[in-house]
Amino acid sequence: MNEVLIIARKELLSVVRERRLLFTTLVLPILVMPLLLFGPVLLFGSLAQRTQESVQRVGVVGVPAGLLAQLRQAKVEPVEVANPQEAVRGREVEAALVYENGRYTLYGRLSGGTTQSALVVEKVQGALRAYKDRVVAERLRAKGIEPELLEPFQVETVDASREQERAAGLFAFLVPYFLVLFIQMGGMPVAVDATAGEKEKGTLEALLAAPVPLMQVLLGKGLAVFVMSLLSTLAAMAGLLLGGGIVRNHFSAQLQALQRGEDAPRLGGALALDPLGYLSILVTAVLFALLVVALMISLGLYARSYKEAQSYMSPLMLVMLVPILFLQFSDFLRLQDWYFALPFVNVVLALDALVKGTATAIQLGLTWLSTLAYAGLALYLAYLSFQREDVVFRN
Amino acid sequence: MVEAEGLRKTYRGFQAVRGLSFRVEPGQVYGLLGPNGAGKTTTLRMLATLLKPTAGRARVAGFDVERQPLEVRRNLGIVNGGMRVYDRLTGYEVLDFFGSFYDLWGSRLKERIAWVAELLRIERAVLGKQVREMSSGMQQKIVIARAILHQPQVLLLDEATAGLDVFARRALLDFVQQYASLGKTLVYSTHVMSEAEEVCDRVGFIDRGLLVYEGSLKEALELGSGSLERAFIRRLEEVAA
Repeated sequence: MNEVLIIARKELLSVVRERRLLFTTLVLPILVMPLLLFGPVLLFGSLAQRTQESVQRVGVVGVPAGLLAQLRQAKVEPVEVANPQEAVRGREVEAALVYENGRYTLYGRLSGGTTQSALVVEKVQGALRAYKDRVVAERLRAKGIEPELLEPFQVETVDASREQERAAGLFAFLVPYFLVLFIQMGGMPVAVDATAGEKEKGTLEALLAAPVPLMQVLLGKGLAVFVMSLLSTLAAMAGLLLGGGIVRNHFSAQLQALQRGEDAPRLGGALALDPLGYLSILVTAVLFALLVVALMISLGLYARSYKEAQSYMSPLMLVMLVPILFLQFSDFLRLQDWYFALPFVNVVLALDALVKGTATAIQLGLTWLSTLAYAGLALYLAYLSFQREDVVFRN
Repeated sequence: MVEAEGLRKTYRGFQAVRGLSFRVEPGQVYGLLGPNGAGKTTTLRMLATLLKPTAGRARVAGFDVERQPLEVRRNLGIVNGGMRVYDRLTGYEVLDFFGSFYDLWGSRLKERIAWVAELLRIERAVLGKQVREMSSGMQQKIVIARAILHQPQVLLLDEATAGLDVFARRALLDFVQQYASLGKTLVYSTHVMSEAEEVCDRVGFIDRGLLVYEGSLKEALELGSGSLERAFIRRLEEVAA
């Protein structure tokens, strides 16, 4: 055991000495994650808010005076244009409205993602709806009919999700995503350095000539990778929670603008778990990290060089991201318990369920036991690989 | 002591070492000489328990390389030309790291580091530098220091002067003779005949995995009319014919 700690300490010392590695693994996630994650959202929210509050030019052709007043009320400035489509294309106006033979045609630049024009189109649509309601009400009244006749009942939609699920918002997706991502990303540089890196630099032979059993060498290296994986993941989670908190508390106006007035906290998200929930997330992450570390060590030992090791490990990341894509559609499926025994899929599903507060004991038990078994198997494969001369001296 | 009997190593049908037998006594420097690809490195890796022999047996410091690998490694040091140490650690940290596997801690470790620094002419201040900041000659000295820190009974040197400047090479050759004088067993593998001529007591010529000549340095020099290089070429040509 002592040798395991000595080797792990050496690997970690090498990491600490490489400031660039330390920065990208531990510091960058805290600083950049909130920026990357919430920056574009907030920027867009702020632009959307500005668009809603300021006045934009809208081209009009044949639009009645009543609607013009309604448009002004919706904070758009109607201007007469000769060719509405060209005016929109040339960005003379953000949108254009044409009335002809009892039909309104609305032009906007609606391709290429969310555009300012699309937001202005929404404003115009809102004005049109209000105008239409007013005209209908006036005509009904003229015939002696109360407009309420058209609304025999009210409709209210209520979000029946659990409190935890509502509070989690975007976190329900982001927590599994970033845990999976950073467990590998954080450990990968150390895994590569401790395996293929040692081969490439010519330091592995000296280590193997020391009186240390191979399993202890393997465990020492694995321990260092495991520590860096977890630290990096914690850094990313801290960045995520920090960013979520900042967004929720200081940028709710931008979120409201972006979500068209829906529940603002949904995008920022917050984890509302009890201590057992947090502990369960930690156990799941730790077991998953064991599996990923064993796989990375196995691949790294087989590789001849840094480049080769990276080329083996990058596809592993893609393989792990597939279940996360699946997670987006998981609500359309009736989850069976055996899904929680599938490698990678189980961890993603369990994390999702934990964040939303829907995890059952069977689901967690299956996830933990199967992940532990897969990690043990991967570690054994790494050990077998380490025993092979054609692998160790494959440089 | 090192004993090899009928040592063989085959890689996917290729016979790298074909029944090598030799014996090196304590206090002796045995020169394992041969061209590139002759099987020298494979032989030393088998002695160091890094590779398993396909057939034959070998004992290092009285321990069987296959059955007692950890005991062999405790009593052995190995250096080869391509071997490096951790470049982000300081010289002291490298020695601390490897010393800890041989139960060298605290004052014992300090004594050994002082001993090895003096033997290899490494200044104490240099040990505080990270290996990547050292010259290649100094880095090689750290590689050697790591291998002898535990004062192994057997030291295997494989092209150990590769890449060394004239001063570092001189220091290494002096060290080899000095270390053997302490009653240690050394196997010195090289293709540079002048080095072998200077430090070896006994030599073995290896070609395509076979030991084609073995004798004392004096006998080998007689075979080559005073030149080890001539003896080597003559013997290899005889075998080829």
